[in-house]
Amino acid sequence: MTDALLRLDRVNSFYGPVQVHFDLSLEVPRGQIVCLLGGNASGKSTTMKIILGLLKPRSGQVVFDGQPLTGLTTPQIVRRGIGSVPESRRLFGTMTVRENVLMGAYTRSDAHTVAEDYDGVLDLFPRLRERHAQQAGTLSGGEQQMVAMARALMGRPRLIVMDEPTMGLSPLHVDRVLEMIQTINRQGVSIFMVEQNASLALQIAHRGYVLQTGRIVLSGPAADLARDPQIRDAYLGGAQAA
Amino acid sequence: MANEPKKPLLAIAGLTRRFGGLTAVNGLSLTVGQGELVSVIGPNGAGKTTLFNLISGLDVPDAGSVTFEGRDVTGLSAERLAALGLARSFQHGRVFGNLSVLDNVLVGAHTRLRAVKPRVPVVGPLVELALALIRPPSVRAEEERLRAEATEIVRMFGERLTPRLDKPAHSLSYANRRRVEIARALALHPRLLLLDEPTAGMNPTETAEMLEIIRGLKARGLTILLIEHKLDLVMQLSDRVVVMDHGARIAEGLPAAVANDPAVIEAYLGHKAVGAANQDAGQDAGRGRDATVPVRIAH
Amino acid sequence: MFPTTLGPWLDYTINGLVIGNIYALLAVGLALIFGVSHLINFAHGSVYMVGAYIGWLCVTKLALPLPVTFVAVAAGCGLLGAVIERVGLRPLRNAPRIAPLLATIGLSVVLDQSAQLLFSPDPRALPTQLPTWRIAIGGGSIGALDLLIAGVGIGSAALLYGFLRFTKLGWAVRATALDRDAAQQCGVDVDKVNRTVFAIASALGGVSGLLVGMYYNTIDPNMGFQAGLKGIVAQLIGGVGNVPGAIAGSLLLGLIESYGIALFGTSYRNLFAFVALILILVLRPNGLFARARRLPPEPLTGTFIAPSRPLVLPKWAVWALAAAALALPLVVQQPYLLQTLGNAWLYALLALSLTLVAGTVGQVSLGHAGLLAIGAYASSLLALDAGVPVLLAVPLAGLVAAALGTALVYPSFRLRGHYVSIATLAVGEIVTLVILNWESLTRGPIGVTGIPPLSVAGKPLVSGQWVYWVPLAVLLAFAALQSRLLNSHLGRTLRAIREDDVAARSYGVDLNRYKGLAFAVAGFIAGVGGALMAHFYSYINHETFPAPVSMLALTMVILGGLGNVAGAVLGAAVLVGLPELFRAAAEYRMLIYGVVLLLLIRFRPQGLLGTV
Repeated sequence: MTDALLRLDRVNSFYGPVQVHFDLSLEVPRGQIVCLLGGNASGKSTTMKIILGLLKPRSGQVVFDGQPLTGLTTPQIVRRGIGSVPESRRLFGTMTVRENVLMGAYTRSDAHTVAEDYDGVLDLFPRLRERHAQQAGTLSGGEQQMVAMARALMGRPRLIVMDEPTMGLSPLHVDRVLEMIQTINRQGVSIFMVEQNASLALQIAHRGYVLQTGRIVLSGPAADLARDPQIRDAYLGGAQAA
Repeated sequence: MANEPKKPLLAIAGLTRRFGGLTAVNGLSLTVGQGELVSVIGPNGAGKTTLFNLISGLDVPDAGSVTFEGRDVTGLSAERLAALGLARSFQHGRVFGNLSVLDNVLVGAHTRLRAVKPRVPVVGPLVELALALIRPPSVRAEEERLRAEATEIVRMFGERLTPRLDKPAHSLSYANRRRVEIARALALHPRLLLLDEPTAGMNPTETAEMLEIIRGLKARGLTILLIEHKLDLVMQLSDRVVVMDHGARIAEGLPAAVANDPAVIEAYLGHKAVGAANQDAGQDAGRGRDATVPVRIAH
Repeated sequence: MFPTTLGPWLDYTINGLVIGNIYALLAVGLALIFGVSHLINFAHGSVYMVGAYIGWLCVTKLALPLPVTFVAVAAGCGLLGAVIERVGLRPLRNAPRIAPLLATIGLSVVLDQSAQLLFSPDPRALPTQLPTWRIAIGGGSIGALDLLIAGVGIGSAALLYGFLRFTKLGWAVRATALDRDAAQQCGVDVDKVNRTVFAIASALGGVSGLLVGMYYNTIDPNMGFQAGLKGIVAQLIGGVGNVPGAIAGSLLLGLIESYGIALFGTSYRNLFAFVALILILVLRPNGLFARARRLPPEPLTGTFIAPSRPLVLPKWAVWALAAAALALPLVVQQPYLLQTLGNAWLYALLALSLTLVAGTVGQVSLGHAGLLAIGAYASSLLALDAGVPVLLAVPLAGLVAAALGTALVYPSFRLRGHYVSIATLAVGEIVTLVILNWESLTRGPIGVTGIPPLSVAGKPLVSGQWVYWVPLAVLLAFAALQSRLLNSHLGRTLRAIREDDVAARSYGVDLNRYKGLAFAVAGFIAGVGGALMAHFYSYINHETFPAPVSMLALTMVILGGLGNVAGAVLGAAVLVGLPELFRAAAEYRMLIYGVVLLLLIRFRPQGLLGTV
């Protein structure tokens, strides 16, 4: 796949003396949804940090749209066109929904188009229109997830990275969130999502990777992964199944 | 339940802990019998670590009770519970970074030190201070004995830890820190051992070693409550498995039974796993059925 | 002093609100800074002092109109704040949490001492230029300056509200305070936000200094220390990082002080603030207006122990050094030199005491000079007023300092990280203030004169050699005891508390018991040190052991390596001995200490001999 929007190339990363990633390589092709699966402590969330520049790899590089992101700060990376939906939403709890969503447009200076986009985003999440003046911390989990996605969209990203977007949501909200991800994707935004919930993620993804203790152990088209009996053992960390 | 133990060492009833609007542990009940190994499994955020904090006295429940050896220990402080014989490891490993491996393990034996008694305020600490400064033969002998014992415990982990006995814990690998934690817990001579993801961050070889060590502890009659994500390890070790989701117990039973419980699969592998499997034949049938086999990358 | 009519009370209320407004200007800045960088900025008081001096320059030297003066003060201090953030704090972003706090202490020493060198330590008058009319209301009255202060306070609050609420940068500030990582992921340059916040906070702090200078018509280079502490107290009353809370806490503190002075007298003014601080820390550590029942999580933990390989001296080297030190007076005869080194050994006792508490147990005490003061007063008064022989009075004073010191700090044992430092700082201040005010026991501001020297069999030990030998012998004895202590199970247990108090508790370590034990041992050592000082100096007062001595002690132990017994001795010898020997002018000495502290935190946190 040469037309990758995002490419991780033999990344080795560490937390202090502890190595998290071992020669991690993966790709997000333009216009696709790619999911990274894995159990606890497999290094999924750290992958997000590497892409966003919150943690620097010791070796290897992240390439976005043909340009290496090496040496860039997180805000600079965001300006290149990567939006993020962090784990557990990470909204600004005592700021209003409107303020939270507009914070996503922080890097943009044209007030007029921002206002237009804000309106467009609210059309996508009508629920947020009703609640625009409410403090974000008082929303339900599903609504918070919408705010987080709306916030990410406001930066007009070409790629959105999402960390466990369905974590802690009720099944009803999970469906809504998955639908939203697909809708966003159809508008041309590529998606890289990290998920523990394998069956869910593979339902909407085009491709998947399975990470186990910092190494990719399985990868392929999502539909195939979903049927692969090995996946369950692979990402629950076991060698032999129960 | 058929194999419900006659004499529970630990009994938890209706335990509840709320953080703001979130109920992390919700009316949970469970028992652990003498010599039993019970595993608690469940997805991220199910409340497992909060449960451990409540049992070990680092957190206080909003409702419910914890009974240890027939005695109500709800709300007792962590240091008191340690003195009663409860030892734990921590999810992300909490070793004393600038202490040597040996000193880390020796801190585990703190409650057993006679030099630490008596617990009387003011006088007790002063006696302890005097003993530490004068160091009479009895104190020296006790220290020697504990050092020998701590070294012996570390030997359980073989070549991985023994050569590093005098190295500061911050210089160890992640897996080794987890081993130090378990060695420290054993030095307490626990009556109940709480292990919070002892194999997190370990590779398959290291995991297999840890499995053998835990199996050995169980064989010695130690009672263990285990939180673990690696299901095959859980299945091989546990007498009983308790499954938590959203702070509540959703299933309990023998490993094999639990592993095939639809509620468990749903909670653990994903809320829609079961449904998806059923619908699969229908709506998604066309998509990629005969596509390439996923690549398995060796490591 | 008990006004019975309403008029004076109204005056006290107005006075309290005016002072509260001034505190609010400080506390709001501290709250903003804490919000975005989780730092309690001890240099804030110094910025306030700088503001007062810029104002003084504008008014008296340049004769500028008042509005221009205000702008100049705000701009100058804003710039200073940005520089502090860039040079002093940003390099420490990834250091342990306590490092930037210590750096702000170093910065504050440097700023205060620089001001002293530039403008002399003497107070200056700062004329107000304002009309002198007063409006009478119901028996009280309000002057033009009162209205100006109120106006500036309300105006600043309104501006700040507008900034945070309606500007993009203001949103970024709020977002960064709420979730730094998420803000970065929205493209916010958090460094810029930090710098902005420091600039705004410092501008407000500088204006506050100017107003206070005008209010009391006097400024001096040390005015910042107490004011900075008041700002911190006000902020804690309102809940750290809470801007509206800081304003409410400030007004409350102003009123408490004003009414307190009405009831008890001016010399008690600062005591109320610090007692209020201790009460708040112990009873409602999240502030009066907080709903949560627990301390904010992680950011306040963390000791200043850098992983290092400590230099371990071989036994024979220790013996050789000790013997050489003991033999020195046989070779060197100059009394001045011996006296200087003797003084260094006395300070080494303080360092030994602090390194046990701050290094081994990780409780960074900022009020350690208070223990010296307790020991000094206890021994002097026992000898003078109770007729206890000096040789007995000294160890008794050690016991008094151990008991009293531990009892005073005990309520703060459940606090962690920064809060311990603030609480010990307050305890140190309380000790000084009690000494000043409890005249029947301590002789108040006059001090204790004619303290008898140490004597053995009627022969006073006052000659050069004894002034050297006695402190050295005591120091060596305590150093040996402390080393022995650290080698026992107690040393292991104390260090475990420092490394991870939660894990230590889970293994049966009773934190209060061991923190108490450490403070008691530390109190005894420092108490004996203070007692010896009193008997060598023959005169002490409440200013013999001021707060800067605590900072000096901290610099010594960090220089030597925290927790390191030999390091404490080395640190004292270097910092007390060397400047004296090189005849460095006394007025530069504190400045040197401040710079040394800053450099150490930045470049060698493990000190010369390594942390243990």
